[in-house]
Amino acid sequence: MSSTVTIQDRQSKVTRWLLVPGIVWMSLFLVVPIAMIVYVSFWTQTTFNISSDPTLASWKQFFSSDTYTGSLWTTIRIWLIVLATTFIVGYPTALFVGLFVKSKTLSTVLLVVCVIPFWTSFLIRVLAWRPMLGKEGAINIVLLKLGIIQQPIEVLLFTELSVIIGMTQIYCVFMVGPIAFMLSRIDRNIIEAARDLGAGFGRIFWKIIFPLSLPGVVVGAIFVSVMVLGEFATSGALSGRKVNLLGNIIVTQVGSLKWAMASVVGVVLTIVMGVVIAGLLRIVDLKREL
Amino acid sequence: MESRFIKPALGVYVALFVLFLYGPFVVLTIISFQQGPDGGPQFPIVEWSTYWYRQVFGLTPPSRIAPLPFGEALIRSLVLALMTMVVSTVLGVMSAQAFRRSFKGSTFVFYLIVLGMMVPGVLTGLGTSLLANNIIGIERHWYTTAFATHVAYTFPFAFLVMLAILNRFDSSVEEAAWSLGVDPWTTFRKVTFPLIFPGVLSAMLFAFTLSLDEFPRTLFASGRDQTLPLAIYGTFSVEIHPNIFAFGVLTTLFSFALLSVYGILMALSVRRAKKMAMQEDIA
Repeated sequence: MSSTVTIQDRQSKVTRWLLVPGIVWMSLFLVVPIAMIVYVSFWTQTTFNISSDPTLASWKQFFSSDTYTGSLWTTIRIWLIVLATTFIVGYPTALFVGLFVKSKTLSTVLLVVCVIPFWTSFLIRVLAWRPMLGKEGAINIVLLKLGIIQQPIEVLLFTELSVIIGMTQIYCVFMVGPIAFMLSRIDRNIIEAARDLGAGFGRIFWKIIFPLSLPGVVVGAIFVSVMVLGEFATSGALSGRKVNLLGNIIVTQVGSLKWAMASVVGVVLTIVMGVVIAGLLRIVDLKREL
Repeated sequence: MESRFIKPALGVYVALFVLFLYGPFVVLTIISFQQGPDGGPQFPIVEWSTYWYRQVFGLTPPSRIAPLPFGEALIRSLVLALMTMVVSTVLGVMSAQAFRRSFKGSTFVFYLIVLGMMVPGVLTGLGTSLLANNIIGIERHWYTTAFATHVAYTFPFAFLVMLAILNRFDSSVEEAAWSLGVDPWTTFRKVTFPLIFPGVLSAMLFAFTLSLDEFPRTLFASGRDQTLPLAIYGTFSVEIHPNIFAFGVLTTLFSFALLSVYGILMALSVRRAKKMAMQEDIA
């Protein structure tokens, strides 16, 4: 009896020591830095430095300036639009890969095809949209050649539209993956049974397929939200500095050594992030579904 | 039936989707063969040439356009990715191994680790810089502060990969070793590790590629010396030339090579496992 106790004791000791390094690393380099952002957002900003005297000055400045509050609304607007476009663009692809393709090999090949673009550096992928969208870019050339348009479209580049197109292309794969995964797990017999009972495709889709794929949509939405909300490179490179997201504000504030203001924006971003993810996790209970 | 119509329609849609995914890369590749050094990063192609590829390797006579300052940055990024890969994978294997037994507070620890892939990089970068500047009072470097943030980002991926592998792991082989009196560490080294090695390779690949391309975390946390993504970002603010596109094509080819190595290692380890199983059968 006593020997089993010691074995269990020793094993739970082993478990503890296996966990300690990971917990310490994440606490020191993730939790503490975020707490630090909250703390510094209440510091006093002097011209080139910050001191730890507590003040609400930076917070007041944030909420009294149209540039800052505007960037909050821009971030939320772009996030909602990109969430919608990645879903609309990604869902049919996921439907094909996850449900309609019968052969396992073909669906694996299609998923690999979706992942290959990620082997190009993220920043170069963003940059590649410039010769694509510009006034003399590939899209305008093709459309002119086909005679669909007479004049080159100029609103394609250095506008909010170019940011949305770029982000949609970069992030839509994160929608496709989880949705296709959920769709591939649907029991085909249910669909077969519904068809035998005379249900059309539309009815089968809305009553069976879509509800069962919802956890995948939520996971995809979490991926896309996490990445879009923290974005600044795509908006910086494709909007010609016209679209300023919260991330862009942080970068410019740090660039001019306004650490306190950068921290305020950081806290706002953290709050937005927390609300979004908590909200998404409420729609679907992930632990039960996965 | 309706699905007879829907399936081809979806097939066509997927073809368009792939075109959308690859369009920019195709255009990038075309423009990387632009004439140099006067051809700009746009259409039309004045004349096809490999000028910009030669320029990336410093094989062209000096011109108005400075060569990309990527040499040292590339080495730093590779070293950083290797360091990150080793530490993340070790942490990932350790934590996932611990999760095989239920323990108090496991949900909390799980979310603490997964938080690392949820928090935007710009925030971890900012927080770590603030901490280094104002509390600890150390200089920021790519191999200290940036390294810490890279591991905090890639460790969750390694952890999840290992968790998925260990969940499907048949622990009866370990119990057999234990009952023969083999100590736990030797059991792990000789029995568990060889069996989970394909998963370890995937975790390593994840950590390496994520770190190599990581940009927002590094931007604030790396201090003076640039890593590769920072050097690329530096070219954003000034004029863009086709050399950056040529460089993009080359790095993509490098990724292909890296993945081929991974594929070969994976195939070898699978084949070895099969061979071992066959030997057991014979014995």
